[in-house]
Amino acid sequence: MFDPKVITALLADNVRKSGNPFGLANGSINTWWKGKNLAGEGGSLLLTGLMYQMVPYINAATGLLEKYEDTPTAERIRFARWVPRFLSAAVLKMKASGEDRNSAARILEDITRILAASGVDFAYRPELDFYSGILLYDLGDLDSFITHARRVAGRLQEAGVERIITVDPHTTWALKKLYPRHAGYAPEVRTYFELADLSGSTDREVTLHDPCFYGRYLEVSQVPRTLLAGLGVRCVEVTGSGPFTTCCGGPAESVSPALALEVGKRRVTELEATGRPLVTMCPICQANLRRAGAEVMDLATLLAGIVENRRTGDSSRRTEDRGRKSEEFPSAAIE
Amino acid sequence: MTLVTPDFVEELQQYGDDTVLRCFNCGTCVAICPLINDSFPRRLIRYIQIGARDRILAGGRDLWQCLHCGLCSRTCPRQADPAEVILSLKRLVLAAWREEDTKNV
Repeated sequence: MFDPKVITALLADNVRKSGNPFGLANGSINTWWKGKNLAGEGGSLLLTGLMYQMVPYINAATGLLEKYEDTPTAERIRFARWVPRFLSAAVLKMKASGEDRNSAARILEDITRILAASGVDFAYRPELDFYSGILLYDLGDLDSFITHARRVAGRLQEAGVERIITVDPHTTWALKKLYPRHAGYAPEVRTYFELADLSGSTDREVTLHDPCFYGRYLEVSQVPRTLLAGLGVRCVEVTGSGPFTTCCGGPAESVSPALALEVGKRRVTELEATGRPLVTMCPICQANLRRAGAEVMDLATLLAGIVENRRTGDSSRRTEDRGRKSEEFPSAAIE
Repeated sequence: MTLVTPDFVEELQQYGDDTVLRCFNCGTCVAICPLINDSFPRRLIRYIQIGARDRILAGGRDLWQCLHCGLCSRTCPRQADPAEVILSLKRLVLAAWREEDTKNV
């Protein structure tokens, strides 16, 4: 385990300087929207919170931390208060995989397709797409979280943003519950799948991994199930689901990749017991469950695939995948 | 020897928690916690209740193992909200570490 004091200080410093935990310019992380011709004006603002975009850097950082955890290097960090060079923005940028970046971009593009297919009036403005600061809150650095949240809230208020569409549970929790309390900003916040109104037809079974913040803290885990049921997707449940979902282990990755992996492996065993393709709706869960050896599809990929099949009239993919492992799961038609 | 800080609960309230005295140490949180180790988080809650501030500070790093998944709070029969208690402790310990650093500069 790394010294939480050092890790927290490093992350808080990065958020203060760059607006995200990696010390990289938001513009260099957030590139998925380019060339997509998304409307800049509209009823609700799509705010990704940069969580999906950060996955390539989270994976890179976790890989490096994993290499040094419980080694003399980790101890030097603890005693010398030495900010590790291997966690510098330049190294993380170099180590972040292009495949991870493309995967995150595809999921976000799928979300915009789902919103468009649902007739949702939304806008995307990259200059207003901020990281929420949630990691600082979770690590116990409330002062740094509040400073960042107030800065973000100020920018959103200045732009007159009153309705926000979110794409991940951590940003949703932060904007919906923490910003009103700590930043005095209370916009209407909905997740994209709460707004989804899709038509399509398939015949599949999947197992959902509910992220803790959707299942337990925000209690919205029934929403994707209802949505999927309407499209012909049955959810085969594990005991730890909905409000009693079991953690993926991801939140520990910044201080102990070993612990995150241990918890993740246990969750993968639970989930894989159903033998169905695994689906989740959180970039942190997806990344950590994948690190623990599972193939996990994002809900947006599944939904967009079904909608796209309807649009193209391609029914050939509908039934043959029941009971398959997710590596055999038909990829979304847009890929 | 452990020094007891009788007003530790009041001190902790500055960092967000006011539910810790509801806990009657049933251990549900330990049984449900994905960490499955060392009586976490019950041991820390008990330390708060008896004012064992020094023990909490001495083992402060362990707090960051908590995933803040909230399963303990969901299943707590006394609504003592162990997840929020641990988050409050993180804030308190972080503040104590920073204060110590300031003194040492």
